[in-house]
Amino acid sequence: MGIFIYVIIIFIYSFLFNTVMEETLNGQIIEQVNGEMIKISQVGTDPDYLLEYRERRIRELRDIYHLDDPLLSRVFWRAIDTLTFNYGRSTIMRSFKGETDVIKIVLERIPNTLILFTTSIILDILIGVWLGIKKAQKAGKFMDKSTSIITMTVYGLPSWWFGMVMIMLFAFMMPIFPSGGISSVPPPETFFAKIADLFYHMALPVITLVFIGFWGRAYLTRNIVLGNLQEDFIMSARARGIPERSVLYGHALRTSAPPILTMSLLSLLASFSGALVFEGIFSWPGMGNLYWAAVQQNDIPVLLGNLSITTLIYISGIVLLDLIYGFLDPRIKVGGKA
Amino acid sequence: MQLADFWKEFKQVKFGIIGLIFLVIFILITIFEHFLIPFPEASTRWRDITYWEDNPRNAPPVWINWFTEKDYTPTTYMNNLEFEEKTISPTMSVSTAILEYDYNYDVPPIDLIYRGRFKGSFTLNIVLERPDGNTINLVNKNFSSPTWKDFRIAISNEAKNSVQSFAKRFQNISSQTIKVNSIIFSEANKEIITNPVPLKGTYKFNINIIKTSADTVIEEPRLIFSGAVSGILGTDNAKRDIWSGLIAGTKWALFIGLLTSAISISVGVIYGVVSAYYGGLVDSIMQRIWEIFMNIPLLPVLIVLSAIFKPSIWSLITMMCLFFWVGPVKTVRSMALQIKEETYVEAAKALGASNGRIIFKHMVPILIPYAFASMALNVPSAILYEATVSLLGLGDATIVTWGQILHDAMNGGAVTNGLWWWVVPPGISIALIGMTFAFIGFAMDTILNPKLRTR
Repeated sequence: MGIFIYVIIIFIYSFLFNTVMEETLNGQIIEQVNGEMIKISQVGTDPDYLLEYRERRIRELRDIYHLDDPLLSRVFWRAIDTLTFNYGRSTIMRSFKGETDVIKIVLERIPNTLILFTTSIILDILIGVWLGIKKAQKAGKFMDKSTSIITMTVYGLPSWWFGMVMIMLFAFMMPIFPSGGISSVPPPETFFAKIADLFYHMALPVITLVFIGFWGRAYLTRNIVLGNLQEDFIMSARARGIPERSVLYGHALRTSAPPILTMSLLSLLASFSGALVFEGIFSWPGMGNLYWAAVQQNDIPVLLGNLSITTLIYISGIVLLDLIYGFLDPRIKVGGKA
Repeated sequence: MQLADFWKEFKQVKFGIIGLIFLVIFILITIFEHFLIPFPEASTRWRDITYWEDNPRNAPPVWINWFTEKDYTPTTYMNNLEFEEKTISPTMSVSTAILEYDYNYDVPPIDLIYRGRFKGSFTLNIVLERPDGNTINLVNKNFSSPTWKDFRIAISNEAKNSVQSFAKRFQNISSQTIKVNSIIFSEANKEIITNPVPLKGTYKFNINIIKTSADTVIEEPRLIFSGAVSGILGTDNAKRDIWSGLIAGTKWALFIGLLTSAISISVGVIYGVVSAYYGGLVDSIMQRIWEIFMNIPLLPVLIVLSAIFKPSIWSLITMMCLFFWVGPVKTVRSMALQIKEETYVEAAKALGASNGRIIFKHMVPILIPYAFASMALNVPSAILYEATVSLLGLGDATIVTWGQILHDAMNGGAVTNGLWWWVVPPGISIALIGMTFAFIGFAMDTILNPKLRTR
């Protein structure tokens, strides 16, 4: 099911991108043919032949890229290409090693984004769930109410703006952390120094993300746990004399885990796409940053490749979630109507 | 729940009331924008540099004077200058005004600007009398024009030579760049150029306008002290008053947020109800379509669409509505599935009510409280998305929004130069509006979701 949806989405993207793609490809083809022509003319050939060669080559290449076909057919081929991960070459951008293969450019950025956001989500979940359980225990009391107010205050806070403020404070006004990037210049030599350098650069973005994130997590956890605490089996567990700690962590948490996990993983996936601006602010070389750079430089192949991989991750995440949810909560059958 | 009961419950949730109060404040700001800001045309003339040219660049807000050791001169406008006319000859007359200015600050103004409109020809002469008795002839300039024209002189340019020779009387070093205003307002001692000490007291500006032709008319003459600090929230690097921009942006934030939420949530709720009501094949198809939209990551696609189509506020709202409607569908659908089984729906069908009537008259009204809660919680998202798109420079250039201000801040080097008054206030505004709607939305949520009650 997920695959089917993915295919449809790719077709939609392909349709969107196609016109822009066509112009780009046109330009690329002409450049390529011109390049070839220059090489040939250096050998010394007769100008008529050159012209004829040019015409022929352009026609050939257009044929390969299906540029002369009607719109629908082009959309179709572009979509098939994208689905088979054949993204082609970028127009302007290059990977860190200088390659122009779109797929390589995108792939080498994925680990960077993963490191940053996975670390943040883990910390976020740890702090958030712990705080949420505390709030559920003392529901309605001062701690619960005050932290809920803070949650709502932070609800509309743009993470990237907060990042800007943190950079202004801790990178320029009080230079403790670096203002961006993933490694210092020049990069350190030893393995441990590299890891330490990585953490040093990760510190500010992670702190920003976690600080904004854990409030929402706590509020969500509190709601779910509170809902579960009113169930009968909790009451019976307490009546049986099971210590409160065990009731909370053993029984209530076990039932609450599925929705909390679902929401958390959904945020992780969503953060992948929202990472865009955030990575830009911190000059963090990840997928989001790549997207932004591609938009600014109008590099369509990279854009399409990045977008399709992002969507792929998003969809596969959701499919995975469905499976995990079914595993954790036996009442839910996989793919059933919950 | 009925509407009246709902309101009664809502009143008891404290933070909901706080949210409502904030919302009212924001609406009032939008209505009274014209009176609240010193530059009322900020909204329409945000990109017009002539509107802002008398302000200093990158100046902090005036209230930092309470926190800093040194006092900074604030921007002041002297509009009402009293002129005395004296006729010297049949064609020439002199208008004189004496402006007394109390200078009690440590850091002098960035510039003094004298401007107005005129027709004819005249000579402008400004002589400054300092508290220590020294006089400096600041300006001596001729203007002539047969038609109405603006005139504008900036002391930091015009008075360079005379101020330089003044300073040389006390400290004889030749220096290429001298700060005209610093010398004007500093003590006349041997270090007037290298280490100026502020001279506090009453400064008298003698403004003499010598009209050299009979029909010369001068309108709206005014003297402006372009201060070292300016405005309630300072200025940016294009000399724009940030407080004005902030207030002007309020209406757009509210507009975008409310409109997008209202449209998309309405569509989503109706979609969910229709899908649940008809069931079967219609339901399946509608849910598939929903899944497709659900799985598209919003921000990247929004950015690409903005880059392709013309960035205008309407296209932005349309695009956001295209994706926001998916939010409430699942929940509404499950609620509608329950409502469908109620006996009064069955009764309505038995009475021969049409499908449309059942949907809109019986099912949808029950979902209205949930719809409102959803709308309230969606407003911050909409505002946030617009701010993000503007931050990337893809927003509507004809209006001022907080996202645009932040975009200018980022590109204008606010972060690297520590111009906090430019970066912090717009973000706080976004957060405040988000907070307002979050309060309202979560208050509604608490009422509608009985498991969360703690009273």
